[in-house]
Amino acid sequence: MEPVRSKLAVMLLAGLAAVSPALAESVVTEAEEATINTLEPPKTGWFFVKGGWGTAGSSIFDSATGKMIGMIATGRDSDMAIDPAGKVYYVAETIWTKGNRGTRQDLVAVYDAKTLKLLTEIPTPGRLIIGGLKTNFVLSDDGKTAYDYNFDPASSVNVIDLVKRKFVRAIELPGCANLIPNPGVGFSALCADGTLATVAVKGAAQEITRTEPFFDAAVDPIFANFAYDRKRKQAVFLSYTGMVRTAAISAAPAVSEPFSIQQAAGLRAADTKPLDIAWYPGGSQLMALHRPTSTLYVLMHMGEYWTHKQGGDEIWALDLASKKVTKRIPLKDPVNNIEISQDDAALIMVTDRDNNGKVIDAKTGEVKHTIENAGGGHITVVEPM
Amino acid sequence: MKTFNPDAIGEKLLRRFAGRTSRRSIISRLGVALVAAPLFPVLPVSRAEAAKPDRTPEAKTAFARNAQTKDDTKCDYWRYCAIDGSLCTCCGGGVHTCPPGTEPSPVSWVGSCINPEDGKAYMIAYRDCCGKPSCGQCGCDNTDRETQVYLPQLNNNVIWCFGTSSMEYHCSTAIMIGAA
Repeated sequence: MEPVRSKLAVMLLAGLAAVSPALAESVVTEAEEATINTLEPPKTGWFFVKGGWGTAGSSIFDSATGKMIGMIATGRDSDMAIDPAGKVYYVAETIWTKGNRGTRQDLVAVYDAKTLKLLTEIPTPGRLIIGGLKTNFVLSDDGKTAYDYNFDPASSVNVIDLVKRKFVRAIELPGCANLIPNPGVGFSALCADGTLATVAVKGAAQEITRTEPFFDAAVDPIFANFAYDRKRKQAVFLSYTGMVRTAAISAAPAVSEPFSIQQAAGLRAADTKPLDIAWYPGGSQLMALHRPTSTLYVLMHMGEYWTHKQGGDEIWALDLASKKVTKRIPLKDPVNNIEISQDDAALIMVTDRDNNGKVIDAKTGEVKHTIENAGGGHITVVEPM
Repeated sequence: MKTFNPDAIGEKLLRRFAGRTSRRSIISRLGVALVAAPLFPVLPVSRAEAAKPDRTPEAKTAFARNAQTKDDTKCDYWRYCAIDGSLCTCCGGGVHTCPPGTEPSPVSWVGSCINPEDGKAYMIAYRDCCGKPSCGQCGCDNTDRETQVYLPQLNNNVIWCFGTSSMEYHCSTAIMIGAA
């Protein structure tokens, strides 16, 4: 055995000698300290991608590079919102004192946007635990008020003062959910009776008004993950059959006449009958609004009605002004979530049920980055104010 | 095609629930929910066609046309037409039985599913079993007549573990309520 050992030793030494010039260049001679990175204020080219169902954490990806640059501690089934001033991130979440049991605590956690450190927690009386909804927790345009939807199982909205960082009060809102900030008024919400309710918050009182019914919540529902353009004060609604409506948000919102996204693509409109194979919208966060061009990007799949959770095989770009589908981007694998950067780059991010993500150029359809384990939850971007 | 009448579904379920529970806080919250019930849409189509529901293959959804009645550990078992989550039949429970150590939710979302054996529609309550981590077995996500959270009794994304000692979701059962 001895000669073999000697030979091995010689080989090892020879190997070390061969690589030593390369090693010398990367040798660190001084002791290092553990350091911590900080982040710039939230940028339009960032995607905040929530982990899949039951996981915690929203990864931040830079769309230009496809690289992860940080993570916000968004607990399981929490909802995140970005401070319009870019100074903090808000996370509405529910935790228990003993992990999976003990006393339930509902709160809004406030994280510093630069250090991502917890600044404070605002206790709230409850919230809907669901995950995957972007209309559960919304901020007013001035960033001073948060509206946090609660369901226990009666329906209400918690009003939170973000300046004083205090819960203000709960407003009962039977039969409605999915919130839209309504500047200078309060908020609006979609309702089971097919109306849009508007809650004018007036100090300790409120006035609730409703539009006329404009959709059937049981036959052709409007997707709860709708889009809202703060600059235009316009919500964009899409129904299971692909009917598109816009709503001018004010003290008395006005909802437009619907049109079919399939007809906007030169096809016949889809309907609710079985055995009618057509292109339908589907997924979880199935639409993204590029606000600078007022173009709606929708995940579409071929199938029958009641397949509204099926992932998209194509992305359809719908120009809301001309009511025309201007581009159809085929996808290699079905995806469930879509969002788009709110800048001229117009980079789309999509994620699938296996948590994989892609960054796609909306203008060319080219896949710019493929990101494994990006996250399977919904995606948030900085909105133009 | 016969569709849901959410008013009737809500009333039936809440009556069953009210007869079983003693939790004052959740009853008071359910009372508020009941106030909301008249706001749920009353579907003229369901009234007009209630007398003679169309059960021809052309009127059935893709799920109903392909559903089976033999194996309740498979996603295409007929009662699972609007279920979302892990099947309790794969987690140590049964189609109306929670696995050991878990607790059934007193409230639920519902589905209206057609039994291929007799061609009739039945109301199914998808009661979550709560109090343990997610089972993870036999994940299904069927969406016949499943709507959005503003019509919560027909939405299968809500974690329905209200009124249990823990809101932690483990799996879902599919309990027969009666003819739809």
